[in-house]
Formats: sequence, structure tokens, C-alpha cells
Amino acid sequence: MGVIDLDGVEVRLANRVVLNNLTGELHGQAIGLLGPNGAGKSTLINTLLGFHLPSKGKARVFGLDTHKDRAEIRGGIGFMPENDSFIGNMSGVRFVRYMAELAGLPSGVALERAHEALFYVGLGEVRYRKVNTYSLGMKQLVKLAQALAHGPKLLILDEPTNGLDPVARQRMIQLIKDIRKEGSIRLLISSHLLRDIDQTCDEVLILKNGRIASLCNIEEERRSNRSFMELETVGATERFSVSIRGLGCECATFPGGRIKLVIPDHIEARDLYVIASDQGVQIRRMNQRRDSLEDIFLRAMDNDQGPNDQARSANGRL
Amino acid sequence: MAVYKRNYSAYTGTVTPVWTRVLVLARYAFEEAWSSKITVGLFVFCLLPCVLSLVVIYLADNPIARALVGGRAQEMLAINAKFFLKVLQTQSWLALVMASWIAPRLITFDLADNALPILLSHPISRFGYVFGKFIALFGSLSLITWIPCLLLFADQGYSSSQPWAMSNLQIAMGLLAGSIIWIAFLSVLGLALSSWVKWRVVATGVIFAAVFVPAGVGAIVSAVLRTKWGLLLNVPVMMSNLWQKLLGAPAPINERLSVPTLAIAVMLLLACLVCMGMLNKRIRAREVVRG
Repeated sequence: MGVIDLDGVEVRLANRVVLNNLTGELHGQAIGLLGPNGAGKSTLINTLLGFHLPSKGKARVFGLDTHKDRAEIRGGIGFMPENDSFIGNMSGVRFVRYMAELAGLPSGVALERAHEALFYVGLGEVRYRKVNTYSLGMKQLVKLAQALAHGPKLLILDEPTNGLDPVARQRMIQLIKDIRKEGSIRLLISSHLLRDIDQTCDEVLILKNGRIASLCNIEEERRSNRSFMELETVGATERFSVSIRGLGCECATFPGGRIKLVIPDHIEARDLYVIASDQGVQIRRMNQRRDSLEDIFLRAMDNDQGPNDQARSANGRL
Repeated sequence: MAVYKRNYSAYTGTVTPVWTRVLVLARYAFEEAWSSKITVGLFVFCLLPCVLSLVVIYLADNPIARALVGGRAQEMLAINAKFFLKVLQTQSWLALVMASWIAPRLITFDLADNALPILLSHPISRFGYVFGKFIALFGSLSLITWIPCLLLFADQGYSSSQPWAMSNLQIAMGLLAGSIIWIAFLSVLGLALSSWVKWRVVATGVIFAAVFVPAGVGAIVSAVLRTKWGLLLNVPVMMSNLWQKLLGAPAPINERLSVPTLAIAVMLLLACLVCMGMLNKRIRAREVVRG
């Protein structure tokens, strides 16, 4: 059983298909949800929360049906929405306590955990201030605190770094990493920022036009593409490239001492340094190019072209 | 999780039953409503007529006071269905003032800050959300309608030298039923209208307008069509008719102001259904973050 199971899910809003035949099983500790605007990320999150009834197929969270068992699912989920969503005239601690009580915590326990959650996200000193006096970064953090306070099994973060300055963003990313490391909570993070997903997630679901463009394990994907390398050398480049071909590498040389090579699994970077040293070649730069999430994302966007998109691309090329 | 450790730990304790979450909403809404000094001031003001009525009951049941007041005032001091109808009417219209102040506080804060996506992502339904707010408003209005009315009835029953309470039970039942129908209607109306108006002050005005503007329209309808059915848009007349019948008070002298009870009940029910529809539409539209 995955964290999230999608079985041919189709969601229609105002007679428009927004999610189209989504099928897949998400197992990751932290799952990234990527896609361009209008791809259906928020609709998928709302479907998982039971706000939208799939017109076809089934969606399950921890094996529970998102429509029939939505009360139970919501009890085990902490949700941090993308936009401002809070009760401004309540103090931070009162707001978090209120949300924890709604999630099912007894009143006294909810108060205790509200204090703890606010300290945990770094709002301990301002917890008695009204939420509408908070800065944008603080509002993001108080939303995270309310999502955490009741100890959910799944934490859904919709654009958690939206509108944050670099320091606040880094702090939010670090918090997410800490939560992931703690291990008791699964995360579903929706973001436009590939870097955020890259830093925090181990599995990614990429949506495009309401369809799954890619569903992959980021680490495995990187591992399978780790053999590509770029070198910048000074010295006898041609002789050096012949030698590394002898190791079993595929290799191409370019002007300015640049070499691109695909190295087999058994060859390490150290072997190249040894040959370079023997031949008096200086390696000025070595870029072991991993397949970044950006590459995965762009590839998914290219691969998943529907018939209309393909026609448009062809016309564009002509 | 501990404050001093600043690390996260999962919650492993007990969880409250799902049905009690409505009461959590009601409790927070009640606290929100009564956190304003204006609410407390209004509450005190709304109880002043009850204090006056208490004095009247005291005078009516005190032989020395009755003798001092004299013969002409004897009729004024008669404690009967007519007296309690006046008390109920006064308290009910004060309840309208109170509802128009409290109802917007319960809903517009949530809507203005876009709190519904967070609130409804918890194990609570749209109906549960509205019902929680309804309980808070209904409870607040109860404090100035049927509770003081029944206390006055009990006081009269206790103070009267003759066995009065048992022979006038219809008055007590009428006070209870009449108040409950009115404050339930006011609560639904107040919440529905507040959900559609962003500014609290405007929402307060709209609630008053929703009660009194149709009365004017009804008067025009009655005058143009030469019928009395226009009264069904006149909430004050309609409710006066209903209260009078429930308490068993004398009928109004002008027979043209009388409306069948069934028509009143149907009209109130229709109004409540429209309000529920408005609430459902508004909350459904705001429960998710569109993206």
C-alpha cells in the first residue's frame, strides 16, 4: 500500500476535465508535486482532501478512499494551503490550538502542542501576537505550525516557500528536511520551484495538462544518469583522450582542451586523475554532470506531448 | 515535541470523537462573539425590558402596590398572555439587533481571511461548520429571548397568590416555541447574509434590510393587488400573528392583518431553505484554494 494510490482518477470541474486518468502509486517519504500552472496540482491536492469527487477512478490515501473516508483522512492530514489562510484576529497560539482541537486533540493537549509547534517553527516569541500582524514569512510558518500541531501522518504543503525571502526560504526548507528526517510524517510538497523539490523530496510526480507526465524516484533517476562527465584540460589532450578510451570510456574532444565522456560504472574519477598525472595533463575543471530535476522535468514536459502539442511543435519547427 | 527541545514528535494520545468538532467550532464562535465589549453592552441593554417587566410583575402581585396604583392602572398590571406577548415582541426585536451585530462577526472574519480552506481541511463538513456557528448564534440569542421570558413566567408563577402557572402553561409553551422559531430564523438569515457580505458594518445593515425592506414590498403588493397575501413578505406582521396565536393572546382588532398560520410556517420554511442554499453556495465556493 502506497501513501497515495491513484487508480484512473478523473476529476471534472465545470464540465472540464482537470485531472485525466491519473494512475500511480506514491511511496516516497517526501513526494514532490510539480507541473506548470494549470497542470492540476491544486486540484489533485483538493481531491486527496475530499473536496472534489473523482468522476472516474479512485484515489486513496493510506488505503482510505478520499471521498468515503474523507473525515478519517482529514484527521490524519496536516494541510498548509498556498494562499493566505488563517483567522487574522486570533493570536498565533490560539489559532494553532483551534486547528489542533478541530483535528481531534483534547483542549488541554491542543494548547500544549500549539505552544510546542510554534516554538518548533520558530514563532515562539511572537505566539501571542495576532496573526494579521505577522509578516509574510511568519504567516507561512504559522500555517506550517497548525498543520503540524496535531501530529499528522501526511503533511501536504502547497507552495511552502511562496513569497519568502532567501533566508526565510532556507529556513523553511531546513524545517521540511528536519520533518522528513524525523520520519513519522510523509510529505507531499507542491511547488513551482524545482530547487525546493530537489532539496526536499525523494520522489516526484510531474503533472502536465491534468495527466501524469512523469512519476519517478529522484535518487534512482540520478543514479542511472551519473556517468556523463565534462573535462577541461591543458596539455596533450589528444593523447589523454586515447588513454581514457583505453579504459572503456566513450569520449569526444573539442577545441580548447574540452573533453566530454561517458564513463562505465567501474571507472572512478580518480582513475582519470591518475592517467592525467602520468601524461602531464592538467585537469582544470571536472563536471560530473548528474541528471538534475530540471532535466527530468523538461524531459517530462517534452515526452508527454499530446497530439495537439505535437502538431503545434511541428508547426513551430517548420 | 517539547518547547525547550524544539524538535518534532508525533502525537500518540487519544483523539476526540468526530461529532464533538462541531462543539469546538461553536465554542470558538461563542468566544469570538462575546469578546467584543459592544456585545456585552448590547446584552445588558437587551435585558433592561426584562428588568422592567420584573418590576411590573412585582407590582402586580403586591397588594399594597396595587392599592397604591389605583383602579385605572389595574388593567395595566394584569399579567396575562397579552403582557407576555409584549415582552416576547420586545425581546424578539432586540434579538434582531443582537443578531445583526453578532452574525457578521462569526462568518466575515473567516471569509475575509480566507480561513475556510484551512478550517474545512480538518474533519469537519460544510454542514458541521455552519451548524457550529448556528449553535453559537442561537445560544447567544437564547440568552435574551426564551430564557429571560421563561424566567419571568416562573417568577409570575411563584409570586402569584393564586395557582397561576398551571392554568397558563400555553403562555410558557408559546414563549418557548415563538422564541425558538424566531431566533432560529434570525440565526440562519444572519449567517447566510453575513456570508455574502465582506464588510461587517454592511452585513449588519443588510440583515436589518432583509427584515424590513420586504415588508415595504409586501405593503405595495397588498395595495396594488388588493389582497392581504402581501403580508407574507412582512416579517414583523407575520411574526406578531404567529406569537399571538402561540401565546393565545387576543386577536388583533384589524382582521386584515391576520394571516393563516400554515402560510406563515411555509413562508418561514421557504426563507430558511433559501438561506441554507445561499450558505451552501458561498461556503462551497470558498472551501478550496483555486489554483
